[in-house]
Amino acid sequence: MATRAFQRLPTAPAGRILALRLVAIALSLCIIAGVLALSGHSPVMLAELILRSTLGSRFGLEDLMLFMCPLLLTGAAVTVCGTIGLWNIGAEGQFYAGAIAATGVALGLHGPVLVMLPLMTIAGILGGMAWITVPTLARAYAGVNEIITTLLLNFIASLLTYYLTTGPWRDRISGAQVSTQRLSVSIPEMWGIVHWGFPVAIMIVVGLALILSRTRWGYEICIGGANPEAARYAGIPVRLRIISVMLLSGGLAGLAGMFEVAGTVHRLQGGMANNFGYLGIVVAVLARGSCLNVIPAALLMALILDSGIVMQTQQLSASVILAITGLILFMIAIGDELAHYRPVATTPAKGKAS
Amino acid sequence: MNNPVSPAAPSGMAPGTPPVLQLRGIGKFFPGVIANKDVDLDVWPGEIHALLGENGAGKSTLMNVVTGIYQPEEGEIILDGYGQTFASPQDAIRAGIGMVHQHFKLVQAFTVAENIHLGWDEAPRLASPAVMEARTREISERFGFPVDPAARVADLSAGEQQRVEILRVLARRARLLIMDEPTAVLTPEETGELFRALRAFRAQGNAVIIISHKLDEVMEISDRVSILRGGRKVGTFRTADCNPSMLAATMVGRDIVRRNMRARAEGAAPIAPQPIMQLRHVSVRDDRGVETLRDVSLDLHGGEILGIAGVAGNGQRELTHVLTGLMARTSGEIVLDGSVVNRADPALFAHAGVGHIPEDRLRSALAPSLSITTNMALREYAQPPIGRHGLYDAGAAGVLAHDIAELAQVSIPDFGMPIRNLSGGNQQRLVARREIRIANRVLVAAYPARGLDIGAIATMLGYLTDLRDQGVAVVFISEDLEDLLNVSDRIGVMFHGRMMDVIDAENADIATIGMLMGGREPASLQPGGPQ
Repeated sequence: MATRAFQRLPTAPAGRILALRLVAIALSLCIIAGVLALSGHSPVMLAELILRSTLGSRFGLEDLMLFMCPLLLTGAAVTVCGTIGLWNIGAEGQFYAGAIAATGVALGLHGPVLVMLPLMTIAGILGGMAWITVPTLARAYAGVNEIITTLLLNFIASLLTYYLTTGPWRDRISGAQVSTQRLSVSIPEMWGIVHWGFPVAIMIVVGLALILSRTRWGYEICIGGANPEAARYAGIPVRLRIISVMLLSGGLAGLAGMFEVAGTVHRLQGGMANNFGYLGIVVAVLARGSCLNVIPAALLMALILDSGIVMQTQQLSASVILAITGLILFMIAIGDELAHYRPVATTPAKGKAS
Repeated sequence: MNNPVSPAAPSGMAPGTPPVLQLRGIGKFFPGVIANKDVDLDVWPGEIHALLGENGAGKSTLMNVVTGIYQPEEGEIILDGYGQTFASPQDAIRAGIGMVHQHFKLVQAFTVAENIHLGWDEAPRLASPAVMEARTREISERFGFPVDPAARVADLSAGEQQRVEILRVLARRARLLIMDEPTAVLTPEETGELFRALRAFRAQGNAVIIISHKLDEVMEISDRVSILRGGRKVGTFRTADCNPSMLAATMVGRDIVRRNMRARAEGAAPIAPQPIMQLRHVSVRDDRGVETLRDVSLDLHGGEILGIAGVAGNGQRELTHVLTGLMARTSGEIVLDGSVVNRADPALFAHAGVGHIPEDRLRSALAPSLSITTNMALREYAQPPIGRHGLYDAGAAGVLAHDIAELAQVSIPDFGMPIRNLSGGNQQRLVARREIRIANRVLVAAYPARGLDIGAIATMLGYLTDLRDQGVAVVFISEDLEDLLNVSDRIGVMFHGRMMDVIDAENADIATIGMLMGGREPASLQPGGPQ
């Protein structure tokens, strides 16, 4: 019998995970460079271009922040839900619902910005919460799998947006396709095209981290997620906690939709969620259940998205960018798994024959 | 005591007939545990052989060796006179050994016919439901176990599911049927049907091994009995030569050292005359409608340790859960401090000062992936100093965790590490100390000494007597009669969800407890009753 030289531990230290993730990213970049070189592109030139148009220039940084803003919120939405052991796959739909609700307020009411923006914010949050209400109640009272219900509602929200933007709310002024007219209210800009939603999203993520670690509610959520049976044993009302966490999760994703509508796009458009809801799942997985980790995870995801757009300008097709995204995430997943393995001190083998 | 019978063939068998199964010197070891050692066993064609023993006596390990789930470290398995080794359970099945487990291994969403054909190499390659159902009907009639082939397993009663399990095994041409606690989930009528079918199976020259701890059933169904104790076989007896009290004594009868820990220290709280908690005719039914707790009435007095004896799985879990508010009773009344609390509300019980050391601490008392500090705060996170104004003070929780660890004498390098990194014994001590902190009125301790070494067991029992001296009502559930007899003031014996009797521990007689554990009515144990 061969002696097993590695043992899988149930937990992996954060430092090891970080180190292996950096290795994983470096390795995937090498692979990507190799493939690009084989297909006749210059990896060096592309890398230079990508760096210049993301981290290396002011416009690049502004774009990055605009990408990060919704990713922070959808990532936080999925992370918070994951704390109690549930998966909100429906951030995409809640994003649309929040965007629709905020747009409805903007189109239907007229008033000063100081009144309209809070109203739109509340509408966005309530829209997201409303969209997750049915999955929440089904989960809490009937044990219906939330992964399926939240996922399926995404398609309905997306189609509802198409309906509104081509039907009752279509742009009658400039005639833009699949879009409402430009909203009269918008979130003020802070730095270039970056609006105030970005720092607010960062503060929300930090605030959530504090709530989860420093409040009784947060403690109960963590216990409920780590072992529901122990939570019941401790007398924690698990059902009520599930309801509050899922509504919060939906509200966060709805807020992301409101920020996108009122801060970045300024209109409700069909397809505007741009997979931010689904990418929120990726961000949450990268963050490994920690709210603070959502910030670097969202940055990485924004970098990938932004690089993708730069590469598309260099005649690389969209599917190449998808493949690259997949490769990086795949390598990171392998790195995470390897971080669990520890070399085991084995007694020196007596004979090498076997 | 009767002499063990020699392994000669029973009378009425053609000379030279080998036993269906012969075990010679079987030994099976786990790290730190001898599960089986020097076990010899002969099972002849046409016999029902009962295997009797307490929890941990090695019955299940032995049967897992016979069915190829484990490979023995010592000894040999001989089938029909030929030595065999089973690399996998499939080998054992091919050799004609079939086992029906206590917890059925059926696919709930499949029909009976589908379950019978699942993983069966004789199943036709392309089988329509109609073909499978016809085949199942034929098998069912051949072996005399009536089932509805088209019924979904989830819709069947426990007894019907067991029939499907048996048919699954018989369809694979088993000649030796092993049944683990087959009557645990059956009604008396279903038990009668099962026994009729087993006798018919035996009449065809097949053999049955039945694992049981129910003495009356062993007496009724078996031809011979083998008793295991501490992993070794004590002996094999003709059932006709046995009586229940002799079997009970042999099963539990190791040397029990009686140390009286009932003596109170100076100034200890006396046994309170008014009960703190009362169960009045409490019954519980599980999801399948099986009554797991039957008409239990109990009084818990402050300053008293009530021991609960019984083979595991006879309602102890349900009793613990009812006493701590984790499980709703179906009928009866629970009285806590004079008021009726029939709602299953663990928070209410914990608030009233009911501590609970559960049987499976990792599953129900701890969140294994969270830190030691987080886990130690589980009972007090909502109270100052940890919980104030809806906040959670991690620093105060850390102080609490340090306190608990110090009292429990567990040295912990890092309170931030997941609690599953600790050994089972250390987890148990931490949970015990955590629960003792909140147990002002009642402590329900289910198997608190399980998995501890001897020194730690003594410490744990000391915790219980300390609490008792402070006037707390202690419920101590254990499978170790020695511990029970040493610390308890009274001992209740559970069987099949019933509290058979509650007896005074000081004068308790081990054989009596053994008989009650095996389901004998207390009335029949009185002097003058049938012996």
